[in-house]
Amino acid sequence: MWEQVQQALSQSTTRVVSQVASLLPGIVALLLALLISIVVALAVSGVLRRLLTGVQFDERVSRWGLQSLHEWSPRKSPTLLVARLVAWTVILIGFAIGIAALDLSLTSALVLRFFEYLPHVLASIVVLVVGNAVARFMSRSVLIDAVNMNLQYARLLSTGVRWMVMVLAVTMALEHLAIGGGIIRLAFGILFGGIVLALALAVGLGSKELVSRSLEREANRVAEESEEPVRHL
Amino acid sequence: MELDAIPQPALEQIQRVQGADLVVGIIHPGGNGSRANAAAVVREALQTFPQPPRAVLVIDDHGTGEIDTIEDPSLAVLPYRLSAAASPALTPQSFFDAYQTIFGLGRKIGVRACTVIASELQCVTPAWIDRLARPPLEMQFDLVAPRYARHKWEGLINRSILAPLSRALYGKRIQNPLGPDLSVSVRLLQSILDDHSAARGMNAGMPVAAVISTAVRANLQICEAEMGARMQPPADWMNLSSLLAQMLSPTFLDMERNAALWQRVRGSQPVPAFGRMEPAPEESGPVDAGRLIDSFQLGAKNLQDVWGLVLPPTSLLEIRKLARQTAAQFRMPDELWVSTVYDFALAHRVRTINREHLLRSFTPLYLGWIASYALEMERGGPFEVDARLDRLARAYEAGKPYLVSRWRWPDRFNP
Repeated sequence: MWEQVQQALSQSTTRVVSQVASLLPGIVALLLALLISIVVALAVSGVLRRLLTGVQFDERVSRWGLQSLHEWSPRKSPTLLVARLVAWTVILIGFAIGIAALDLSLTSALVLRFFEYLPHVLASIVVLVVGNAVARFMSRSVLIDAVNMNLQYARLLSTGVRWMVMVLAVTMALEHLAIGGGIIRLAFGILFGGIVLALALAVGLGSKELVSRSLEREANRVAEESEEPVRHL
Repeated sequence: MELDAIPQPALEQIQRVQGADLVVGIIHPGGNGSRANAAAVVREALQTFPQPPRAVLVIDDHGTGEIDTIEDPSLAVLPYRLSAAASPALTPQSFFDAYQTIFGLGRKIGVRACTVIASELQCVTPAWIDRLARPPLEMQFDLVAPRYARHKWEGLINRSILAPLSRALYGKRIQNPLGPDLSVSVRLLQSILDDHSAARGMNAGMPVAAVISTAVRANLQICEAEMGARMQPPADWMNLSSLLAQMLSPTFLDMERNAALWQRVRGSQPVPAFGRMEPAPEESGPVDAGRLIDSFQLGAKNLQDVWGLVLPPTSLLEIRKLARQTAAQFRMPDELWVSTVYDFALAHRVRTINREHLLRSFTPLYLGWIASYALEMERGGPFEVDARLDRLARAYEAGKPYLVSRWRWPDRFNP
């Protein structure tokens, strides 16, 4: 019996060792691919950073009105952001090549699912970028117009508008990424509905006097302006 | 096209009046009977000429397209349509389109001079037409700009920005560089229309904004005419910030187009003036500076982020200090005001932020200037006001090197 146990043990050990031995080249290939991709990523990132610094990419982005890109970028430098994005893309490609060396069928399935998901990721990035730009534009418009209308709560209004647009954009982005599903939709509906209801109640009940005082002050100001001797033209 | 507003029968009549010497355009629609009144005023003015010129009166037809019969061969009356909205008040766009239509008509007919009247017809006298039309017809002047008798609280956008800016940029001391009542010779007319066509892609906007710069660039003769008190027609400006945006945008665009010209100009000279200067009317009451200071302080508190994209840190600091002043101490230094206007002009050019936002955010600063001016000139008479405004204009001229250096090297300073 002990001979049979020994035989079983020796056979299983041989099987495992040979499986590990068969995996070893794949693992080495994966590590090598990762290493090479890291080196290539560093080189590409360095060249790209020099190129973008040479064309003053950071200043151009400011001039194009994409101030938010500065805030999202590491060390407030869009050049660094682009360089790092490209570097990580190269590393991911290296990783995918390494995985392919390890197990071709697994890679194919992964790659297929990745490319199916990619349009949703791109769409959500676009939604976020556009949403952020729209939020900043609208909040600035509201701020300037509210100040010109002498509303003391101009900044509050502007912040509120910005957050509402951003929440909408984030919800749309999550919808594209199929994250959260119904919970996100429900939460958004409750949040927006709550905000609108709160505003309606505030105007109707709670802040009635504040709003009516503000409107009265504004009406008096308009009446005073018409009696003003100032003529701008 | 500048002649799209003219109905076909009128265009045919234009062919019959070729060879007229003068086009007189009346922008404000006026009430019923305004055409007859306007024709009578123009006819009476033309009779004072040694040899009365052949004239064409262009006036709004209230959408009827009707043409008056010509009783007097020396004065033909042509209708044109204002903006399709046809509201009793002028919209900015209809106002600008009317100038372009009148100028285009003048070129098409082949006149020697073109006179535009934008004030209320009630204040237009034969002397107005005479003083505007005679210099280009008989004295070889190319541009006649108006001088109005105004009380100290009138025309503040012009007094605080447009006039001193035009003086500093183009070296001509003109009280009202943007008219609106003015006369141009055929030489200036051609230049304005050619420049306007070329500049369409740059959102040319208001052709009258380019009158001074075009005249200076072509080395044409400019003079002023005393018009007395002026009544303005109601304008459909939504609010002050819209008004400022509508007035400043064409001015800043014109600055951009003529940068090579104004950067070479040094100092300023007065231009000849015709007509008797009339005393300014009395103002109706004091200005409530407190309300204006409140608006300025609200802007200073909430718009620092926006202004920070346009103004240098020193200006922002001074504005913050000014916002903390009491009403008695509230005085905006001329240097601060001038550098602020120049910085906004530059930001308009480089599009630091959306242009509409930029111009609207200027409103609290403008109100701050009015407050400072009102407090300073509360008891000032006409001479004190003129001296004060002349000091402001000199500050614009003194600050011009700052504008030139920032215009040439905008990247050297990035707030």
